[in-house]
Amino acid sequence: MKKLTLAAAALCVALGGTAARAQDAGALLDLLVKKRLISDQEAEEVRSELVKESASTAAGKWKLSAPITELELYGDVRLRYEYRGGRTPSEHTDNPNDWYERERERYRLRVGLRGTLADDWFFGIRLETSASSRSTNVTFGGEPSGGPFAKGDDGIFVGQAYFGYTGFPDFKFTGGRMPQPLIVTSMLWDDDINPEGLAEQWKHTFTFDLGGGGGEAVQSYSKGGYSKDGKVVAAPAAEPFKLKLDVFANFAQYVYDDTNPENPIGPRPTTTGNNTGNNQLVPQTDAFMMAWQVGARLTFPNSIYVQLAPTLYNYTGNGDSFNIHFVGGNPALSNSASLATNQTGINSLLVFDLPAEVGWKAWGLPMRIFGEFADNIEGHDRAHAAADLGGFDAHTGQHYAWMIGGALGQLKAKNDWEIRAWYQYAGQYALDPNLVDSDIFDSRVNQKGVAVKAGYMVADAISLNLTWAYAWRINGALGTGGLGDIQVNPLDQYQIFQADMSVKF
Amino acid sequence: MFALENKNHPTPMKIKHVALSLALMATGIASAHADRLVIKGSDTLGAKLVPQLAEQFKAQHPGTTFDIAAEGSTTGIAAIIDGTAQIGMSSRRAKSSEVGAAASKGKNMKPTIVAFDGIGVIVNSANPIKGLTKKQVEQIFTGDVTDWSAVGGSGGKISVYTRNTSSGTYSDFKELAMKKRDYAGGSQKMAGNEQIASEVGKNPNGVGYVGMAYLKAGGIKAMPIDGALPSTKSVQAHSYPYWRPTFYYTNGDPSGLAKDFVDFTVGSGGQKIVAQVGFVPIK
Repeated sequence: MKKLTLAAAALCVALGGTAARAQDAGALLDLLVKKRLISDQEAEEVRSELVKESASTAAGKWKLSAPITELELYGDVRLRYEYRGGRTPSEHTDNPNDWYERERERYRLRVGLRGTLADDWFFGIRLETSASSRSTNVTFGGEPSGGPFAKGDDGIFVGQAYFGYTGFPDFKFTGGRMPQPLIVTSMLWDDDINPEGLAEQWKHTFTFDLGGGGGEAVQSYSKGGYSKDGKVVAAPAAEPFKLKLDVFANFAQYVYDDTNPENPIGPRPTTTGNNTGNNQLVPQTDAFMMAWQVGARLTFPNSIYVQLAPTLYNYTGNGDSFNIHFVGGNPALSNSASLATNQTGINSLLVFDLPAEVGWKAWGLPMRIFGEFADNIEGHDRAHAAADLGGFDAHTGQHYAWMIGGALGQLKAKNDWEIRAWYQYAGQYALDPNLVDSDIFDSRVNQKGVAVKAGYMVADAISLNLTWAYAWRINGALGTGGLGDIQVNPLDQYQIFQADMSVKF
Repeated sequence: MFALENKNHPTPMKIKHVALSLALMATGIASAHADRLVIKGSDTLGAKLVPQLAEQFKAQHPGTTFDIAAEGSTTGIAAIIDGTAQIGMSSRRAKSSEVGAAASKGKNMKPTIVAFDGIGVIVNSANPIKGLTKKQVEQIFTGDVTDWSAVGGSGGKISVYTRNTSSGTYSDFKELAMKKRDYAGGSQKMAGNEQIASEVGKNPNGVGYVGMAYLKAGGIKAMPIDGALPSTKSVQAHSYPYWRPTFYYTNGDPSGLAKDFVDFTVGSGGQKIVAQVGFVPIK
């Protein structure tokens, strides 16, 4: 009888997953011993056999430190063909109406580990190809030396390194180089950017049970949880309800630029990088970017939702890399001189941003309309500062940006498809040109245009994506501020086409 | 042409004599080896229990010699993997990594439970505290709590004494009582149970843990954990939270002298000694 029981116990345990057998066996064997169905020695022999079997598997050979309660390996590899081109303006002094074009084949690799730790802590790291903040791509054959297939630009860099705490209900605290904790769009933020600093998030869900129904939660900072991109995740189906209201607040303090040193030996250094020929003291304070976001998402039955996430971005301190006043190019100058004007200054930026989204399902197809309006409240000052340095008139109306678009479908599983299209308008002094998307429209402001993205999931892990965008300069009297791939300023017209194949694991 | 005779070469008679001598020597070594048992590992088992078992065994098996080294369970398991002992004493289960390492060397870690033990949490006998909860034990040994006043004591900075890292008791206690968390940064690592009992006995703010066989040392008292003290009854019923089996590890099923000694240990004679020393018999 005992042997039968022992065999049954072993069989039960063996039916489980190989990696989990030894751990599962512990509880089961303890129970069988407690009920005196098997002896301690018999239990020990079974346990020993299972440990031996487990140790011979791949999973059994991995050893994780004791505080790790959950660990996930993830990442993606992407192959891309890209064309992008930009046209010089007709009034260009060097080569009017000429196209600067670039075609390239690229790849990217991102591989990360993220997990939860004991006592409500969590962490994540991610390694990426490319040192650029706004790209993880490496161009095939892009090395200028080292012969064909050289590895000079195939580096591995730390894209994310963060940890945080979720021990207080509804709160999540994160520090380090982290996935974007804010609800953002590509108009303001390139999605490759992993900001550095601190973030505090709060989210609370109110449900109004008005007699049945159902819905989907969309974002969760719940205890112990983390989303794959730090953004939107699908949460488990909620209890029946008519209305669900997610109220959230996201605050961030990013270290934008570190000054080094804060206190030099001897007199403070000066710079003439302001294009005036005059000396300017190099600042002695770090530059910080603060984000203040409060918002809500109201979910109705049948997956209808409305989300608003008003945000205020302000900058404080100077740093030593972005303290020269922004000019953003000058059409009256030669192309090289226009490119050499300051493109990265963060003076007079106090940006109010309002991303909004409405979504629903029809005929089983997810649909959404999204839009955004941003206004640089200090845009007038930024325009005057640029005009003063650039020697042109101040175009103070260039302080706002907006976009509107729609999407059909979604990309989650095999055979899913999605198409997105939008129109975007970004004034020269509306946004921080160091953060805007590097593809749409080449990291530039003073651009308006359309963009279309289409995607298809060939398999659960394989997707195909096509992206096309076309843009025009908004204000012909100004340059197109920002540092992009197209070595033209002003960028009178711009076009990009990308074909991607990605494997996600 | 080869020389038919070389006076420098031994004659056939001499060869036969040398071969016979070598054979006799080899037989003698084999005979001596067969009566010698090398046992390494756990201090918990090797300090008192196994030497006493060995003495009794020798009385029944004249000519048997023992080589016992009690330097921690890790060394006992390593000795089986390396083939430097016939029996490895361990107060903990072999880890998955150790089982894997053994398998890679063609060894099969076979556990035999020889006794049960209860790891007693001890404080100085002058400490007025009457008992601890499992949560408080975790807090004390991980350093979450550093003053006796936080767990109902009369105040004073807690001095934590633990075993060293090669000890099975060290890792068992982490697993049983500390949710596998690390010990407090300032904890002092001792070589054996006796040293812990001695230090806690001298330090009014000391706290440590020892096997049941060491609970009767002077100057200390065992703490009830959630009301339960380590006893034969509570450990055999597995109701005391910090109970554990203790093991002999062998390479596969033991044979020869090792089998005789294992059988003796788990037999009635051996288990009587187990109880006398302060451990809990397996039956």
